[in-house]
Amino acid sequence: MIDPYYLQQLAIGLSLGMTYALMAIGFTLIFGVLNVVNFAHGEVYTIGAFAGLVAITAFAPPFLAVLFLALAAGAAAGFSLERIAFRPFRRFTDEASLKSRAMRESTLLSSLAVSIVVREALEIVFGSEMQPLPFEYMINAPVQAGPVTLATGDLIIFGVAAAMLAGLQYMLKRTRIGLSIRAVSNNPLGARYVGINTDRTIVMTFVVGSTMGAAAGILVGLYYGAIFPAMGFIPGVKAFVAMVMGGLSSIPGAVISALILGVSESMATTFLASGWADMVAYGFLILTLVFFPSGLFGAGRERV
Amino acid sequence: MSLLSIRDLCVAMGPQEILRGVSLDVPDGSIVAVLGSNGVGKTTLMRTISGIYRGRQGSISFAGQPILNLPAHRIVALGLCQAPEGRQIFSNMSVRENLVLGAGDAGPGELDRIYTLFPVLAERLRQNAGSLSGGEQQMLCIARALMRRPRLLLLDEPSLGLAPKLVALIFDLVRRIRAEGVSILIVEQNARAALRIADHAAVMEDGRIVLAGKAAELRDDPRIAEAYLGGHVHG
Repeated sequence: MIDPYYLQQLAIGLSLGMTYALMAIGFTLIFGVLNVVNFAHGEVYTIGAFAGLVAITAFAPPFLAVLFLALAAGAAAGFSLERIAFRPFRRFTDEASLKSRAMRESTLLSSLAVSIVVREALEIVFGSEMQPLPFEYMINAPVQAGPVTLATGDLIIFGVAAAMLAGLQYMLKRTRIGLSIRAVSNNPLGARYVGINTDRTIVMTFVVGSTMGAAAGILVGLYYGAIFPAMGFIPGVKAFVAMVMGGLSSIPGAVISALILGVSESMATTFLASGWADMVAYGFLILTLVFFPSGLFGAGRERV
Repeated sequence: MSLLSIRDLCVAMGPQEILRGVSLDVPDGSIVAVLGSNGVGKTTLMRTISGIYRGRQGSISFAGQPILNLPAHRIVALGLCQAPEGRQIFSNMSVRENLVLGAGDAGPGELDRIYTLFPVLAERLRQNAGSLSGGEQQMLCIARALMRRPRLLLLDEPSLGLAPKLVALIFDLVRRIRAEGVSILIVEQNARAALRIADHAAVMEDGRIVLAGKAAELRDDPRIAEAYLGGHVHG
């Protein structure tokens, strides 16, 4: 018989891993279509949480409405982010610019700039400390499942994330926009030849990825009661690690890696002080880069 | 009547001029071949027609409508589709997904017609496009461009890298596609095969069209025979 304590840590790890997975998908989708890392993805997570917080303090809507508003804010953030930080650099479509690393690096830096501006703006408006959150919105009531004690948050996070992953999978395989996103990831030039509007597809990729990132933000915020302007940084790094472990552009790879990461961290707190748990992710990153430079699941998998 | 009409088209990549005043017509219902050796600007011409490259000067009109420097997706929507050089298929996606993407707004209604033209694709619908053989990939590339029921099909080097038997098969398909009412502009290094199926042909050298006329006449032109047909085996 396994000690219920480990089952509990496993369940917590899975729900934590799911939030990393939601974040990692945004990274992966955007890397797939543009081949650049979106440094502002952590801020999208923060924006999701703050949108929920503002809604709660302003007119105390039901939980589902809070979630919905956070997702909508994420979608809007993704749309604006693409317009502000990414699209301006796509004007340069001549061969030389497309091949130059400088172009990719400037996009990377412009997303970093947006990330800094958003974080600082939130600090000016809300202050840098944790935001007070009404108790009734917290999702950390204990739930007894056999010998294991979980929080409602674990179940809600797991459920919402699983539903979103299933929805994403359906979208990518069955809908026009999903097929277009995969086509642009697979062969951007081929996508233009078949008449795909690549600009619109890229915007949609940001909207979808950012919606999922914002969902992670509000869910984690309400679970831990910790909403503050810099909250997106650490999850952003973890999701980035999951993306690298998964092979940069594989969604299944990123999701599995995110779950491995979540469970490892939650198990590690058994043996390490919780302050050291973050080390697990960085350890995984180093091991991946040294021993599996093309990701744990090998190169050549389908992008996105 | 000209379905596609190109006038004095100039295209440059940075300081380098690739096309220096190309004029070309594709009459409705015809096959027009553009011949020429490597690096004379044939692919640049095809890419500019499809809106992948921007033109610096001149005009292109398709079915009476100016299309030069329109975004690529709008040109495709007008019924001008291309099977590009290098195929550019979606190698990580299934054959069926490639075809559905080719259909765009038109929906997958054309699939049945495609299966009769390309029976080999019908057997491989669920397979990854990247796992197809070279000839099958070329067929997929052409089939994908046909999914929108284009009025004009652009074919850029469809025989490149294929075995002679497959080349014959591809050229036979081109004829059948034209018989269905699709006009065709084809770029080929295999001048002999191209001149056999084309109605009109043009020869490009160094970014210009240096010779144009009826394919039957060009076939007998001593200049063509010497430069492009004599002793050359292009596969």
